[in-house]
This record gives sequence, structure tokens and C-alpha cells, in this order.
Amino acid sequence: MSLVPVYRSRPSTLHAARAGAGASLCGALALTGALYLHPLILSAALGAIVLTGVLAGVGREIGRSLRFALPFALLIAVINPLVYPEGDTLLFRGGEVLGREIDITLEATAAGIFNGLRVIVIVTAFGLLSAAVDPDELLRMFRRVSYRSALTATLATRLVPVLARDAGRMSDAARCRPHPPGRLAVARAALAGALDRAVDVAAALEVRGYSLGGRTRRRSRAWSRHDWRVAGAAVALGVVAVAGALAGVGSVEPYPTLQVETGSTEVILSALVLVLPLTPFAGRAARLGVARG
Amino acid sequence: MAETLVVAEGFGYRYPEAGRASLRDISLRIEPGTFTVLAGVSGSGKSTLLRAFSGLVPHFHGGEASGELSVGGLDVREHGPGELAAVCGTVFQEPETQVVMGGVRAELELPLEHRGEPAGSVARAVEETALALGVAHLLDRRTDTLSGGELQRVAIAAAMVHDPPLLVLDEPTSQLDPVAGDELVWQLRRLNEDWGTAVVVAEHRLERCLPAADRVIAMVDGRIACDAAPGEFLDWAAAQVPPALATPAARLFSLAGLRPLPASVKEAHAALRARGSGPPTAGDPDDVVLNRALRGKGRHHSHERPGKLRSLLRRNGRDTQPALVLKEVWHEVEDGPTILRGISLRLEPGERVALMGRNGAGKSTMLRIAKGLEEPTRGKVERAGEVALLLQNPGDYLVHGHAVEDAGVAGVAAAGLAGREEANPRDLSGGERQRLALEVVLGGEPAVVLLDEPTRGMDRIHKDGLAARIRQLAEGGAAVMVATHDTEFAASLADRIVLLGQGVVIADGPPREVLGGGRHFSTEVARVTNGAALLPDEGAEIMLGEGSDALSAGRSTHRAEAQR
Repeated sequence: MSLVPVYRSRPSTLHAARAGAGASLCGALALTGALYLHPLILSAALGAIVLTGVLAGVGREIGRSLRFALPFALLIAVINPLVYPEGDTLLFRGGEVLGREIDITLEATAAGIFNGLRVIVIVTAFGLLSAAVDPDELLRMFRRVSYRSALTATLATRLVPVLARDAGRMSDAARCRPHPPGRLAVARAALAGALDRAVDVAAALEVRGYSLGGRTRRRSRAWSRHDWRVAGAAVALGVVAVAGALAGVGSVEPYPTLQVETGSTEVILSALVLVLPLTPFAGRAARLGVARG
Repeated sequence: MAETLVVAEGFGYRYPEAGRASLRDISLRIEPGTFTVLAGVSGSGKSTLLRAFSGLVPHFHGGEASGELSVGGLDVREHGPGELAAVCGTVFQEPETQVVMGGVRAELELPLEHRGEPAGSVARAVEETALALGVAHLLDRRTDTLSGGELQRVAIAAAMVHDPPLLVLDEPTSQLDPVAGDELVWQLRRLNEDWGTAVVVAEHRLERCLPAADRVIAMVDGRIACDAAPGEFLDWAAAQVPPALATPAARLFSLAGLRPLPASVKEAHAALRARGSGPPTAGDPDDVVLNRALRGKGRHHSHERPGKLRSLLRRNGRDTQPALVLKEVWHEVEDGPTILRGISLRLEPGERVALMGRNGAGKSTMLRIAKGLEEPTRGKVERAGEVALLLQNPGDYLVHGHAVEDAGVAGVAAAGLAGREEANPRDLSGGERQRLALEVVLGGEPAVVLLDEPTRGMDRIHKDGLAARIRQLAEGGAAVMVATHDTEFAASLADRIVLLGQGVVIADGPPREVLGGGRHFSTEVARVTNGAALLPDEGAEIMLGEGSDALSAGRSTHRAEAQR
């Protein structure tokens, strides 16, 4: 099963909202992860992503994104203290390895964990985007800006699962052989197969008139209540996150001595980060007009 | 009179770096509103000609073109695929790679957006096309959730959404089961009749398309060898050696010395009735007796092994040891559908079994479980020895740069490619790759050989070659099971048919019993003879055996047999 979530139409406020609004909400969550290193705020952002995913019916997909992000986060958490000997609080003196002192400090360890958490927040925010925002609508939006780049992105999105299936098939075929070939040979054949696929898709695009390069002008679409609610939450979260960062709320200084500001402003900011993305799902109005899939 | 859609005068084409031309001296005209079938064995130039109509040849593939070819008044050498797309919709063989977008609605919108159509027109055209082509219920689906048949219909809708006067399709049914294939051809016929769209379809299974066709163009070695109405084409095809393009019903009539050759089952029935020789009808009790008598032969033997097989088993002393046993096998996907529901099956050494059923019936899953690629969620699989499985894409087995590295010298020779050991497998034809891939999996002398859809996109000559190899394997003692949609291939090859439906075995018996009485899962000859025979030669034998008056003279005999 792919760890990258795939969009499916579902009866939820987030799915019902226009792609721009949904993408903005996911973008605001990712932005929060990018702006802060504070564990409380990052935890709130992660909590908001998980709860939003659950309320949008894509909790399982968010779980897969978490599994996808976890190894990267662990890698950062482990590597950072190994390569960064800064910090006043020594936890472990490892001696000299390859001419380099390996000193594990509390500060570098904490910074590694916080950065790992940040990676998890950003990856799962994109997982939410991938699972709950219609990629065709999103890419159509970008086609107005850069037609060919957006179409290339569309094709890449479309071909990823196709190529994954091809690779799976080739791996099965290798298992069916009395003497399985080496991985390099299979990888080379898979690459050649991917090129064939790309040529086929390019031919399909050609006969659909791709080279004409025309563009359909945007059709105005009235904003639904879901559009307003999701876009409103996205704007509110974005403003809160940026304003908080500008005001220096949630500052974290790992070195030389770990300083994590945790006062009432951090608690309030974290509460807002957690609650604002969930507001589109609140109340009766959120359920009205959402088609049952 | 409307303008001729396609005009070719001495058109020729050679792919870049190809030794010889793929199209030679093509001269033809295609009029609006006609339904043309393009026939020919693999490599005869059908696909290349269709790609020339859509402008992919020469613009996309390169190479050298000569002569004249215009489509909708546009010279294909001056106008590229984008411009030609306005007059020519194109649908390829592989459903998966011709769908570009993630959603069906977006897929239908894309060609119109490329043309810069106003948003309102796009929305209206998408709705109308979807309704007309029966894909309206799919509009909000993701393309990766569609079946092969649904994807192919979406591809046709995307090709037709801007209403081009010409639609060309390259073997559109080759990946589909008989039901989806028949539905697709009916869809094309509706397009042709209701919209007036000229349809040109290249197809190996001609019996599926000929009833809808006005005209057949047969290609041999890149040239047009026959360009005629279906009836005349069948006369031409029957006169060829071997008659590779003759439909089963036409070969039945040809072998029985009957004329004219029928282009459809309906025509065959009419011809037989006109001769006073059948076929049995529901309202004719005598005919029903005849029908039952003939079918009864198959039913009588339904639980016996064929004589040849029995003697082989005795010879090998393996009468009691099955090659493969599936006991109450279930396959339940986590958070998904149940694919297999308690399948029990036993394969004897030397047995040739055809596994049939609609797409999604569970055939491939069953083969994968039999091989051990997947574990059943419940139930048990017992294997008497090694199991060889050839999956659907032979190219997946050919991972090296030279044929000999994949299959060894002996394997290359067994695939009939002696002398081409150093050839790159990617340069081999589809049939050659299939044979080579089969030898790759057979490397370890398996007790069971499983083949998943080995005849996709194969012409009759290659199918006959494959059938001969399978018989050879069975005679060597291997149990062979072939998943196939091709009823003729199944009838000619198998001594037992297993029909799956919704993950359960819905029929299991000799070919005559299973394929003789079906509608979709039956051969064309079975439909002509109402199940009395499955293949042209045995049908002709019955007809000839019954005297010059064919079936009518033999009726009383069969009636008497039935009464006895």
C-alpha cells in the first residue's frame, strides 16, 4: 500500500470546499510547522492535522503520512546530536571518531527532536492536501499561471501510481523466475518501462490537442458556505501564525543552553493553532450541503 | 455530398532506423459515417496506419513519409497531431496510459481546454458527451478506480468530446473481457449510427466487429491486400493460406462448403434457415431435441477425464497425485472487496484448464495464490512441485539486454528464436516476447504451468503457436491452467473450462458443456450451432457428416439418438 495518500471524493467540508481554500488551509498548517520550532506549537499543529484528517474522513491516510514521515524525523533526531556538538549540557562523551569529537548534548538532542517534529508536521500537512484536495482542480488553478509546468505536474501525479504498479509487477515477475535476476537488472528494466509509459502518455496528450496550447478562461463559481468556512480558517490560521512569529511568540533557542519560552502567549497560540483548522467542521452548517459519497 | 474524410494516395512510411517500410503504397478513401474494420496479423501495419490518421506518424515518431495522406482536408505531413485531433479522435490499446488526468470529468475537459473553448461550452460538452456515451455516472470518479472497460469508455468519451467526424481505435477490446468487449463495440456502433461518426477500428477478434462494419480493409506487410464489404472480405480471407483472418463462423461455412460466408451469427442463422438446416430455435420442439442431444454429449462426459489424458496419467503412473489443489481458498482484501470466496479446485498432471470470467472475477488472484505470490486469507494450497506463472505482461520477465541472458540458449531455441540469442527483447514482436517469457518461467521443469491472459493482442497464428507449446507441456506431464477471455482459444486448447464469477466457481466442466450454452462465454461457432459444436472444424464435420443438406438431413438421426 502506498504511503503517499491518494485523493478520493468524500462527503466532508474539506472535500466540498474549492481546491484553493482546502490547499490554503493545508498550506497554513505547513507554514505553522515551518515558522515554529516550539514543541507545544508543533504538537498543536500536528494535532490539528490529525483531527482535521479524521473529521474529513481521511484519518487512515494521515496515519500513512505519519508512517512515511517518521523515519525522516527519526533520522534528523539521531543525526543532529551526532554531527552538532554545540550546547552546554553534555549527556554523553563518545570520544574521537574519524578525527572528530562525538559529544552528545542535551541542546543538540532537543533541537534534533524539534526539527524532526517539524518535518512530521510539514509532511502530514501535505499528506492532508494530497488526501483531501482535488488535484485536478488544484492543478487547473496553476495551469492559468504556468500551463506546461502544471500539466507536467499533473502527469507526474498521475504516473506515480502507474509506475509504482509497474515496479510491483516487475518485482512479482522476478519472483516467478526460477533464477531471479539481480536488482540492478530489474531496476534498469523498470526505468526503461517508465520511459515507454512516458512515451505512451505523451502520445495520448498529443492526440488530445496538447500542442495547441489553448487555455480555457476561468469560469466564475460562486463561493459555497464550505469555501468560506475553510478559506476563513486558513486565513485566520495564517495570520495568527505569521503574527505570532513576528511578535517572537514561541521562540526556541537551542544553543548554547536550551531555552524554550513557554508562557501564556505560547499556550494561547497553540490553542488557536489546534482549534482554528477545526472550525469549518463545527456546527450544523458544516454538515448541510455536503453530499454523501 | 459530404467531403471525404480520409484520402490516401500512394502513402508510405518507414520508422526511424527501421530496415523496411511499415506502410507501402496505401491508397484509400474513407467517407463520413462509415464503419471500417482494419484487419491484419501482428506487424501488418494496422497501428501505424491509424497513427498516420492521427498525425503521430510522422510528427511524433519521426521517420520518412511518402505519397499523400489527408484527414479532414488536412495533410498529415503539414499538420501535427494537435490540429488533426480536431477532425480525428484517437483511442489506443492500453486503457491505463491514455488517460491523463486524475478525475474523469477533468479528463473529458482537457481536450476542450487545449482548444481554449469557453468554460460554459466545456461544461456542456462534457455533460452531453458523458450522457451520450454512458459514462455520466463515472464523471466524479477517480480514473485510478475505474475498470479496464470503464477506462476505455472514458478514453472514447475524451476522444469524442469535441465531436470529431472521425474516430480511430487501435485494438480497443484486447484488454477487455467478452462482455465489456461486446458492450464497447455496441457503443461504437451507436456512435456511428446516432452521431454519424466515421469509425475505423483495428481489431484481431474480427467476429466481434464485423457485424457492425460496412467495410473491411485487410493489411499484409504494410500494404492493403483487400478492401471490400465484410462478405467479400470473408471470401478473400477464407482463400488465404493459412486463413488467419477468417472469422470462426466464416471458417465453419467455408469448411462445410456453404456460401455466402456469414459476417455475423445472425447472418449464419439466416443462411442455415434458408437452407432448411437449422439452427434450432426456441419455438421448434424438434430442434430443441436435436440441440439437447448434441449438447448432451458434453454433459455426459462432464466428470470424466478425456481419454488421452487418462492414458497419459496411467502411463506416467501419476493417476492419484494431483498437481495442484486449492481447498476452500478465500482472499479478502483488508478494507476492500472479497476477491475469492472459498474456491476449491484440483488440477491433475497433464490437464489443460482454461480459467475464464469477467475482469475482476478473481482469475489473476487465483493464479497468484496458486503460485504463492499471495497467501490466501483462508484455505489451503497444495502443490505437487514447482509452479511456473507467466503474468500478463511478458516484458516484465525480460530484464536483460540480450534474449540469451534472460532465457538461456535452450530457452531461446524453445521459443523459436534460435539464431537471435543476442537480440534485445525489446526489439522482439509481442508474440516473440510472449514465447520467450514463457521459456523464462519454464526454466525449472515445473509440475504446474499457469498463464495469465497470454493471448492479449495476439493474432491467430501466434495463438496457434502458443496453443501448440501448451499442448507439448501438458503431454510432458505438467498441469496447465490458462486464464483467458478468448473463448475460441479456450475451446481449442482446454479439456476443461473453469468459469469464475464474483470469486466463486460458477461452472466447471468440459468445453462443450461450459462454452456451448453461454451467451458471452461461448464461441461464435457455438452460437451459430446453438452449442452443437465449439470450433469450425467440428461444426463442419457435423454439417458434412449430415450429407449435402447439412444439418437438416441429420436432424432425424440426432432426433432418433436423442430419443434412444
